[in-house]
Amino acid sequence: MRVDIKKIFFPLLVALPLLFAGCGNREPESIKSGQKVSLAAAVSVVAVRSAFVAGGNEVLLVPASAIFRKGELTAVFVVGADNRLSVRWISTGRFMQGYLVVLGGLDKGEFVVGVYSPELVEGVTVIKSVTAEDQTNE
Amino acid sequence: MNEGIAGKLAKQFINSKITPLLMVASLLVGIMATFMTPREEEPQIVVPMVDLYIPYPGATPAEVESRVAKSVERTLTEIPGVDYVYSTSMPDFAVVTVRYKVGEDAEKSMVKLWSTLMKNMDKMPPGVQFPLMKKVSIDDVPVLNLTFWSKTKDPFELRKTAVGVADELKKIKSIGDVDIKGGLKRQVKIVLDKEKLRQFNVSPLQIARQVQMANSQMTSGDFKQMNQEIIVRSGRFLESASDVGNIVVGIYGASPVYLRDVASVVDGPEEVNNYNFFGWAAAAPKGSVSGEYPAVTLTVAKRQGSDASKLADKVLARVEELKKSSIPAGVTVSETRNYGATATDKVTTLLEHLLMAVVAVTIVVGFFLGWRGALVVLASVPITFALTLLIYYLLDYSLNRVTLFALIFVTGIVVDDSIIIAENIHRHFAMKRQPKLQAAITAINEVGNPTILATFTVIAAVLPMVFVSGLMGPYMSPMPIGASLAMIFSLLVALIATPWLSFRLLKTEAGHHEEYDITKTGYYKIFNTILSPFIESSFKRWVAFGVVGLMLVGAIALVPLKAVQMKMLPFDNKNEFQVIVDMPEGTALEQTARVTKEISAYLKTVPEVLSYQYYVGTNAPINFNGLVRHYYLRQAKNMGDIQVNLIPKDERKSQSHDIAKKVRAGVQQIAMRYNANAKIVEIPPGPPVLSTLVAEIYGPSQEQQIALAKQVKKVFEETPGVVDVDWMVEADQKVYNLVVNKERAAFRGVTAEQIAQTLRMSLAGMDVGVLHTDKELEPVMIQVRLPQSGRTSLQDLSGIFVQSQGMGTLTTRLRAGEMIPLSELVTVEEKIQDKSIFRKDLRRVVYVTADVAGATESPVYAMLDMDKKIESLKVPGGYRVTPLYTANPTSEEKLSMKWDGEWQITFEVFRDLGTAFAVVLVIIYLLIIGWFQSFKTPLIMMIAIPLSLVGIIPGHLLHGAFFTATSMIGMIALAGIMVRNSVLLIDFIQIRRAEGADLKQAVIESAAVRTRPIILTSGAVVIGSIVMLFDPIFQGLAISLIWGGVLSTILTLVVVPIVYYMVEKKSAKL
Repeated sequence: MRVDIKKIFFPLLVALPLLFAGCGNREPESIKSGQKVSLAAAVSVVAVRSAFVAGGNEVLLVPASAIFRKGELTAVFVVGADNRLSVRWISTGRFMQGYLVVLGGLDKGEFVVGVYSPELVEGVTVIKSVTAEDQTNE
Repeated sequence: MNEGIAGKLAKQFINSKITPLLMVASLLVGIMATFMTPREEEPQIVVPMVDLYIPYPGATPAEVESRVAKSVERTLTEIPGVDYVYSTSMPDFAVVTVRYKVGEDAEKSMVKLWSTLMKNMDKMPPGVQFPLMKKVSIDDVPVLNLTFWSKTKDPFELRKTAVGVADELKKIKSIGDVDIKGGLKRQVKIVLDKEKLRQFNVSPLQIARQVQMANSQMTSGDFKQMNQEIIVRSGRFLESASDVGNIVVGIYGASPVYLRDVASVVDGPEEVNNYNFFGWAAAAPKGSVSGEYPAVTLTVAKRQGSDASKLADKVLARVEELKKSSIPAGVTVSETRNYGATATDKVTTLLEHLLMAVVAVTIVVGFFLGWRGALVVLASVPITFALTLLIYYLLDYSLNRVTLFALIFVTGIVVDDSIIIAENIHRHFAMKRQPKLQAAITAINEVGNPTILATFTVIAAVLPMVFVSGLMGPYMSPMPIGASLAMIFSLLVALIATPWLSFRLLKTEAGHHEEYDITKTGYYKIFNTILSPFIESSFKRWVAFGVVGLMLVGAIALVPLKAVQMKMLPFDNKNEFQVIVDMPEGTALEQTARVTKEISAYLKTVPEVLSYQYYVGTNAPINFNGLVRHYYLRQAKNMGDIQVNLIPKDERKSQSHDIAKKVRAGVQQIAMRYNANAKIVEIPPGPPVLSTLVAEIYGPSQEQQIALAKQVKKVFEETPGVVDVDWMVEADQKVYNLVVNKERAAFRGVTAEQIAQTLRMSLAGMDVGVLHTDKELEPVMIQVRLPQSGRTSLQDLSGIFVQSQGMGTLTTRLRAGEMIPLSELVTVEEKIQDKSIFRKDLRRVVYVTADVAGATESPVYAMLDMDKKIESLKVPGGYRVTPLYTANPTSEEKLSMKWDGEWQITFEVFRDLGTAFAVVLVIIYLLIIGWFQSFKTPLIMMIAIPLSLVGIIPGHLLHGAFFTATSMIGMIALAGIMVRNSVLLIDFIQIRRAEGADLKQAVIESAAVRTRPIILTSGAVVIGSIVMLFDPIFQGLAISLIWGGVLSTILTLVVVPIVYYMVEKKSAKL
């Protein structure tokens, strides 16, 4: 009995992800293969900036366009020092003129992808192009 | 020669028809028992452990300690059977852990604890709430973990799926607790709008009250009418979010204010409070998806005494069925732990080992006695094991790695009795002095009684191990019990089955009747050449003794020279390990998630890692280690656990311990960058402890203790080989203390409680009731809270209002219901959160913990290394802190330190084993005195015992292994085996002398005659042990038995006859 289960379960364990990868949307594969050639594409990134709000407290801000959600989870794409994309789960506070206050999960000066697009995939190497922001100086 | 018990027994059974029936019956019950005995990974350890959670809202740790923890501890230590009492006093509550002695009855312990606690409840200060008691037991450890993960579904949906599956699984028989880790529950959120609240003059507390009151329904009674009873029921439960939104929470002007007017009512996932992600790693099967996906883990525990592998199979089969119905297509279910499978693996490995050992032994026997002799031995082993397994089943043991260990351990020993009997029958058949039946009985008579004695010597050697106390006890006790039982059965088999089999299988070669002459055999010639010079020349004799003595001294010297290191138990080769991430207290959940994720991303690249799963804000499913370390309480926002699953052990070259060592540097590098503390936690092979190295620091005040702890921690960090250094002192966490201005609050008609409750509701949220839906399996709470964006700073809080309860004084008349902003009533004090206070056995303690890996693998050497450095530390008062090893400090007036952790268990085990060994020697001595009726002869026989060290210690050096607790067990068992060899040897000398042979002749003859059985039995032990050599835990035992066995057999065959000759010659002269 035990052997049967083992025999069934392990191939299943292998087959399921295979099936999963096979029948689902193929974007991770295509992008992966593409990234080295073409998708080393430039992604415009924005630095996490800070601002002072009433009461003299410093808060961190990211553009609202950078944020995406998975159910209740909130995230941005961060481009690390190694130019790789990674998902960062954050918690956000109030909305401030096109920006959202980040309460946790990001540091000041980190680069986040300015505009989220569903094509972005974690782990992919990209070329950063930093979008200068004039508001930082205000 | 008169017949002994052995001869009589053999005579009864040698031609009896019942003998074969008995043999077959034993085999059958044994096979049945093997299938019926439950299988599991860990031994059943009954260590009643109870956690008491005692809430004392508002109290500081110092208050909690002095008013609650101290008094509770004091009363609990009065309970008989309590081993340790630990407590942690935190702000607002205390956790008191009571650990009973190993083997105390769990139910009785709970009753005693309950009654003692109740007796003292009246002494508790007001404000202390009723304690929550939780019994923690080995059966709380999940045996099966199923991870539900998905590319498309979010944690809320995943949890819903998992809850549905859990509900179905619960119906399976013999299933224990089914729990779900991670995911988000459904919740009805009442998100307050501060502006609107003020506008409509409604306070948060009012909303809470109104919701609670609206959510009620009750049967009011009944009345009679026309011979009928009619039931009257009133009220209606809240059944949906819109029901909640339609509650009238106040009146503004002339119109009602609905809840939906002042707050948004959202029915959906609760606010994010954990991150649980699953991902395939470098060694994942081809085609697995990359990246990581939201996950929810369903954990299945088993009921006490049930079979883990059967349960796991049933659960997996059920899940397979559910995949067709209640598990949506986008959700993948991966098995991330299956102790049932590992238990079955262990059992299979054991059976393979047993088979290999039996086959190997049979071949050796066949080499000496021919295939017929081999067949006799081969047939007797399964019977012995069958009976032992039956006893295991009857004694309610489960087949786990410890009981199996006992069986592997005795494989080499249980064949011995049969070998001795079969060999002697064979010899007598070959001598052809008597007719066949007569020869067999004579042969049994000759060796039967010494065999009985010898068997009891071996039992005497292993049985005292039952008395190993402490946590190691349950790990040890199945071994002596199993081994002793197996020995007794093997003796019975040897006296009943073996003669029957030998009589039928062994052939007397018919034909030429040549008179048997011992002096013509090869053995005699060899021993004559070897022994004669030593017997004749006393000088050569003393040279030989000198050489043997030097070898012994040399071997023992390897231990202090650290060529062979002592360690309690080496690490087993497991398929998993954990990484424990601790951020400084006060770190946000997302920050912890980020660090944990980054560490996971590194682990993912390690070639042996199959998959990983990280848990932040909720604990990973615990294992036995986590149970003792209280990892199930790791649910704070600054804590993350990573469960790392490796590919199966037969598919990788490195042992799990080596992989853990390899990744440590990389993991800690990442952790260091974020000021985090990351530890690699492996499953300990023996009893779990708080940490491998623990320094307990006692002292007069917490400040001094922490100051010393800081220095000790530094010493730890500077010592090579000491890794994963941490301490149980929390980092400074910022606290805003909102102090209520009492006068102002009184004048405004507001109570402090109102303020506290309003704040709590705004920040932490308050559950105000349950949504009454039929469909949901988990309760859906209705929670009142400010939105996350509305509670990020003190400014946000100042916008909260409380409602005045009205105030009438001589000068002012304040009407009830006026809204007063909080900022008017409180002042803010910023301070540092008070640190938790740990206590152990009524003393305040600060723990510094670490692990050992790399430069030194054994904590004892690291401790000795650090002792000097710790003694040179400067403490206020100018005295020296000398680390204590075994006893608690006598006073708390001075700073002091005690080593704990693995050391405590090592110390207890080696102490108890040492004592056991001493008892063994005495018992063996007594047994042999009883048999030989001489005080001197036993001493000669026991010479063989120290001789085994000559083989054991260099053997460990040769294999580069640690001298472990299992090595020690091997050494003790070997003492029994070696004495048995001497018994057989000397017994024959005495028989020959009684027959009138000359002393020298008797000595050489007996060596010659007994060499074959001695080499055969020792060879069986050695060969039976070889299969264990590749198992990391049993390696020590195997080395002891192999090298100790080989060397002491050789030395026994030479040294014992010579010593006997020497001693007897003197007494003969006198």
